[in-house]
Amino acid sequence: MRLKEIPIEGVPYDQLRIEKVPAAPAYQPRDPELVPAANRALVVNPDRICMPIGAMWAVLGVHRAIPFVQGAQGCTTYARYTFCRIFKEPATIATASFHEDAAVFGGRRNLVEGLRNLVVRYWPEVIGVVTTCSSEIMGDDIGSFLKEARARLRAEIGPEKAEQIALVQINTPSFAGSHVEGYDRAAKAFLQTLATKRDTPHDRVNIIPGLLYPGDIREIKHILREMGIEATILFDISDTLDAPLEPPQRIPYYPPGGTRLAEIKEMGNACATIALQADAGGSGAVYLGRKFGIPAVAGPTPVGVAATDALLQHLSRFTGRAIPATLRAERGRLVDAMADTFHHTMMKRVAIFGDPDIVAGVTRFVCELGMTPVAVAAGTFSKRFGQEVEAAFAAYRDLFLDTPKVFNGSDLFEFEEYLKTLPRLDLIIGNSKGVDIARELEVPLVRVGFPIYDRFGYQKRPIVGYRGAELLLYEIVNALLDYRYPDDRTQQL
Amino acid sequence: MPLEILPSRRGHAVVKESDPPVLPVCGQPTVPGVISERACAFYGARWVLAPIPDVIHLVHGPVGCAYYGRNVRRKGYRLFSTNLEERDVVFGAGEKLYRAILEACTLVPDARAVLVYATCVVGITGEDLPGICKRAARVVGRPVVPVNAPGFCGASQAAGHDIAARVLLEHFIGKEAGEPVENGVNLLGEFNVQGDLDEIEALLEQLGLKLICAISGRASVATMAQAHRARLNIVHCRRTGHFLAEGMREKFGIPYVKVSFFGIEETATALRVIGQFFGATEVEEVIAQGIRAAKVAAAPFLSKLGGKRVGLFFGASRIGSMAKAFKELGMDVVLAGSQFGCQEDYQEAGNKVASGTVLVDDAHERELLEFVTYRQPHLWVGGTKERFLMQKLGIPFLVFPQENDPFAGFRGFVNLARQAAGLVSAPVWRLT
Repeated sequence: MRLKEIPIEGVPYDQLRIEKVPAAPAYQPRDPELVPAANRALVVNPDRICMPIGAMWAVLGVHRAIPFVQGAQGCTTYARYTFCRIFKEPATIATASFHEDAAVFGGRRNLVEGLRNLVVRYWPEVIGVVTTCSSEIMGDDIGSFLKEARARLRAEIGPEKAEQIALVQINTPSFAGSHVEGYDRAAKAFLQTLATKRDTPHDRVNIIPGLLYPGDIREIKHILREMGIEATILFDISDTLDAPLEPPQRIPYYPPGGTRLAEIKEMGNACATIALQADAGGSGAVYLGRKFGIPAVAGPTPVGVAATDALLQHLSRFTGRAIPATLRAERGRLVDAMADTFHHTMMKRVAIFGDPDIVAGVTRFVCELGMTPVAVAAGTFSKRFGQEVEAAFAAYRDLFLDTPKVFNGSDLFEFEEYLKTLPRLDLIIGNSKGVDIARELEVPLVRVGFPIYDRFGYQKRPIVGYRGAELLLYEIVNALLDYRYPDDRTQQL
Repeated sequence: MPLEILPSRRGHAVVKESDPPVLPVCGQPTVPGVISERACAFYGARWVLAPIPDVIHLVHGPVGCAYYGRNVRRKGYRLFSTNLEERDVVFGAGEKLYRAILEACTLVPDARAVLVYATCVVGITGEDLPGICKRAARVVGRPVVPVNAPGFCGASQAAGHDIAARVLLEHFIGKEAGEPVENGVNLLGEFNVQGDLDEIEALLEQLGLKLICAISGRASVATMAQAHRARLNIVHCRRTGHFLAEGMREKFGIPYVKVSFFGIEETATALRVIGQFFGATEVEEVIAQGIRAAKVAAAPFLSKLGGKRVGLFFGASRIGSMAKAFKELGMDVVLAGSQFGCQEDYQEAGNKVASGTVLVDDAHERELLEFVTYRQPHLWVGGTKERFLMQKLGIPFLVFPQENDPFAGFRGFVNLARQAAGLVSAPVWRLT
């Protein structure tokens, strides 16, 4: 950490920046008892959101689907804000509109009436019914409510039309997990409700991408295309949350793309399931495996060379297709870029935080770049996270300058306080919530993961696949260069 | 009206045909199943209280509510939450909250008070929030105040505004002794979005007035404790300000005026009303100077805006004055509506818009969509949630509360003109 000159004369250092790196003598450390999140009843600056938003994310990846949130208006509004800010796209999410009466008498009327109103105004093909804290605590019997709602729809719009609308119940009590688990539960709920097996299995592959951005999903599609593999991507947000601007549009507005209902029903006949993120979507793959005997792999997120290799090998093994020369060339270009930039990335100390799958993937990649991950933090607790990052460390531990510290399910306060005790840090990789930390520690921030809302275009830039890794590599290197060699006069090459 | 309206929504959207206008039905719970533009009461309370810098904001609930609450009003403060989990919901989380308050005060020793926000979870499980706060307050030696605004209470976020105002009135305003300040004023319901407050303060200073406290754009515990020393309260946003102003009139005998600083004429009226109260002699000069400068600076933009249609849908107490400001830009206001207006808001808006304008309360996404396809406005003004949808339909969008420059006062009017003109004539719309 490089300390800059203090810009204002006559102001004591401790008053200028109260929460400063320990290099300053006046730095007052926190009560060490209260720094570890495990010691506190309190969470300070959490790096996870609530379960319903993960489920809403998933539903928005289905063609003509609308999430129906069984809760108060805020549960919908906050999520819509979040999606709008990340994707710069509209997010159509319906609310059950809980008020005092619902809190007292339960949400039956809200669901039955709400689904009816939603259907006659929007005519969706799929409705994902997402529960919230309040609905779960009150003990809404969603199953029987849905039966009643279906009966009402039959009476009002005719049985034929009513049967065509798929209703998927996703139980997401927010106090029981984070957005990562919400997505996971949605994947399982969709497959449980919709996927069926016929006698004729085909050679399509199921891909459950997890909490990846449209750019990532496009990159996965590119890989599949190059290999000549047909696949169903559940949930495909690549077009629904990155739609072209082509006025005039019809109303109600539905974005193009998304996974088709018919495709989801067919997922029981696929030859294999690959969940790109074990924590976000892995349950769906496991369910298909148990129920229909479809071979499944879950994770790792294909960031970097080894993880992308693994994905291609899985695909090749499941379908019998060879890995084409074009993808080998992409790999070669990535490795070439790594050789070109290695003198800038090697021995750099980096801290990584975010969702467990993404952090594990990025951690492996930075190890491949010769960097030392000094601290890796998963905002959501994950059983697999520890093993995954340890596996990444194992191959490169001989190159590390420091022993990495692993945080699992902690908050950003603990992460930040730990970073402040380090003698040196070069880079932080994480989502937009890391801006304060990066500024405080005066190190560059490379934005990766969920959510990124304070910069444009990140949702379209892939980090998965060889090409995604190459782009991420350039961003890492350029962040380091921007910081150390801000213009051409300081460059040696 | 050709709009397709759910039967339960009849009466919530009306066309102005007469004077005085028929007003839309308002203050009702939202119809279930719509894509509502409303937020919850918790959001409203956060919106009002979030800017107070020297207190600990502790959200008693699941971590999600806390996380979202941090995004309200873009402040970089630390966010504290009790992070309720399954076992807390089942067995109660009173002790956890008590411990959390103590820990937060240890981590931020110089905080002057603690605000404990209730969420839906706490509202349903029925925790004894006031009791726990009282017990903790004795230990930490500073006010620990419950903000009991669970998301489902009230019809909209407006309920949260009222609850927050009550909290401020009861626990923070006028807590220290002090003589009345002869030229002192408070601004109530002014949130200092992108420097609005600075514009207003500069105008007040020209009248020789001193701003003691702006709630909650510039409201620390210290300044609020002094707020009762003002001679006049100026209410800007009715939703928060009115309640506070009434309370301060009862408690401290401070009179208040409701004004608006959006648009040239409204600003001039506001200054006249305030100046008259204080007997300020320089008012007319300040106004004349401001108007002259604003008209010169805004002139190049007005030519791009004349005769263009605009739809307004945002926080209720601004729609009236903003409608007037857009008229001053030469634009036709075709719709004025809000998520959470009250009778007075629509009364004011109804009086300020032309005949044929639609007045609507709590319109949801589908109604707004139908409206824009029917009237084809050249500009839409509202919140981020609607923005990207309108753009998909090819309609330029101005985010309000604004994202770049202040819109208040004479100079703010020029900013508004520049933004509006830029948006309606943006090259991107020639390329679609």
